[in-house]
Amino acid sequence: MPKQKILIVDDDPDLKKGLNLRLRANHYDTVYASDGFSAVMMAQKERPNLIILDIGLPAGDGFVVLERLQKNAALATIPVIVLTARDPQTNKERTLKAGATAFLQKPADNAELLEVISAALDQPPGTMAQS
Amino acid sequence: MNSGRTNVLLIEDNAGDADLLRLRLLEGGSQVDVSCVDRLSSALAFVAQQPPAVVVLDLTLPDSHGPETFRRLHEQAPSVPVVILTAVDDEEIAVKAVQLGAQDYLLKGQVDGKQLARSIRYAVERQALLTSLETSRQQQLQFKDEFLSHVSHEMRTPLTSIYQFASILCDGLAGAVSAEQRDHLGTILKSVSQLQAMIHDLLEATRTQSGKVRIESHGMGVAEIIQQAITLLRNSAQQKQISLELEVDRSLPLAYADGDRVLQVLINLLGNAIKFTSEGGAIVAKACLVEIDPVFIYISVSDTGRGISPEAKPSIFERMYQAPEAQDTSRTGLGLGLYIAKELVELHGGRIWVNSQLGEGSTFTFTLPRFSLDKLLGPLITHQGLLRESLVLIQVEISSVLSTSTFRRKATSLRCREILQRCIYPDRDLVLPGLRNGVPDEIFFIVASTTLEFAEIMMTRIREQLVSSPELKTSGVFKVSASSLKLPSVEGEVQLEKLVLQVAEHVTAIVKLALRKPQNSNQISNPKPVDGRTEKRRMHAKAKNSDRRR
Repeated sequence: MPKQKILIVDDDPDLKKGLNLRLRANHYDTVYASDGFSAVMMAQKERPNLIILDIGLPAGDGFVVLERLQKNAALATIPVIVLTARDPQTNKERTLKAGATAFLQKPADNAELLEVISAALDQPPGTMAQS
Repeated sequence: MNSGRTNVLLIEDNAGDADLLRLRLLEGGSQVDVSCVDRLSSALAFVAQQPPAVVVLDLTLPDSHGPETFRRLHEQAPSVPVVILTAVDDEEIAVKAVQLGAQDYLLKGQVDGKQLARSIRYAVERQALLTSLETSRQQQLQFKDEFLSHVSHEMRTPLTSIYQFASILCDGLAGAVSAEQRDHLGTILKSVSQLQAMIHDLLEATRTQSGKVRIESHGMGVAEIIQQAITLLRNSAQQKQISLELEVDRSLPLAYADGDRVLQVLINLLGNAIKFTSEGGAIVAKACLVEIDPVFIYISVSDTGRGISPEAKPSIFERMYQAPEAQDTSRTGLGLGLYIAKELVELHGGRIWVNSQLGEGSTFTFTLPRFSLDKLLGPLITHQGLLRESLVLIQVEISSVLSTSTFRRKATSLRCREILQRCIYPDRDLVLPGLRNGVPDEIFFIVASTTLEFAEIMMTRIREQLVSSPELKTSGVFKVSASSLKLPSVEGEVQLEKLVLQVAEHVTAIVKLALRKPQNSNQISNPKPVDGRTEKRRMHAKAKNSDRRR
């Protein structure tokens, strides 16, 4: 089975590096982008199976990215996990409404993050249920 | 104040008194424009249109008396200073008005021009000072909130780095680690989670204080929530060989509460219990009904810890309280846990307290309101002391066959509830709160105070909105159906609350039946789509009956 590809979108190089290490250790392929604009470009070019998205980004924040992804039929079905240091109280519902699959606050527990990733990868909308 | 002139509104019903005062105001030498009204109702309208610089108010008016007159005026225009006019024998009432926020009072018949002018000038100045103090207090509060929110956000980023790389090292992802190294890394990771909890508490305490915490109550199973909290804390209890038990009557009714918030309260209480109980101790979480207070569910956490001294007891729920004995040994936390717990419990309309003897353990108890549909329905399905003429139960089913991911389903469910909320009239219809813990709702019910005919319009709107929502489009099938609710017969004298209760029980029975059915089944037998015509006839008959009742 080919490895699943995850697009990491974060402007903090350390966090990107750490997340990259963690995901590769768990047999995922990773690609990354550091701003909102290149996030959408990368999504289009790489067609990842999942996107991990920060909110505070240069050149189009996470909400803008979600909006652009939703507008593009080919990208709208890619599950997006929002991973941000921001307050869930004011951001969680907003991101879910904007089309995100899940919201996690940094620092997210590794086990929880991996669980959310595999759940989201398991059932992208539009595919048949496997249960 | 325009061009240095002071606009005075005189509220006085006695024409003689009014004329005299107007004269005194003008002779005081200051630049004043005087308007005069003789009713509170006209005064309220006047103030709403063009707020005067100051009001001179007689408390006894044809349409209002006493301090109430001031209260209503002040409510309408809190920033307008008011000087009370009162008769000599009513001085006490005037003092009461001053306590409520009036700036000054003057005794009728003893007012001279200079005194009046000075009183008005002082009232205006004091009010201006008060307003600017309040504004800067609000600004400071907002600044503090924003600052804390910003700081906690900024702290989370480096904290994430520490967590990520320490865990990468600890898990051996960057090469082998010795047992000793792993131990040290474990200490770093433990400190990270402590720091994380503190940041969380700090924000949470600020939020509760500024009233920004939202509670989304629904029918909640208490036993399940306690079990969740126990599962989360099982490890830390085991590390100290403390037993952690749950004692709940399985037939306990649902609470009307926000599951996440209650979980937070329980984690705080259980966490404290573990912290202050020595090795080998025991902690028991209980939930029960108490006969003398049947509308609440009582939840308690008891430990065999060191207990709380009588001196400390009154202050343990205060912000930043630290157990004095804890400061040397286990100073972890900001002393916000119990404060947050108390605030959250009170937001639910419950109480929290502690029973404790030094050296013999503590029992923290809090109450949550029982879930009762009749209380929620009451205001919506009654009108002017009568049950509404017709009620409809609308059932909306979303079958998310395409997604078994809980996260996706939760989002879908949330979105659906939101759409339904938008399609109803909140003062007469109710989207029933979810009745199952943690499980995303897939069947929703709306009790609507309307006829089946009009319910059709609402249903069409619901269908359109569901279909046009991008998140829901992909999740598949919707089913929207409606039936009219059988209203209890009103023969003779029946209490309105009893009628509401009967409707609530009827609805509950239908809902339970529907929820028990396997999901995604094509057959919905109850509520069934109804034949419009026969329904309409029944509605007409009912409408007539209720006309007669009036």
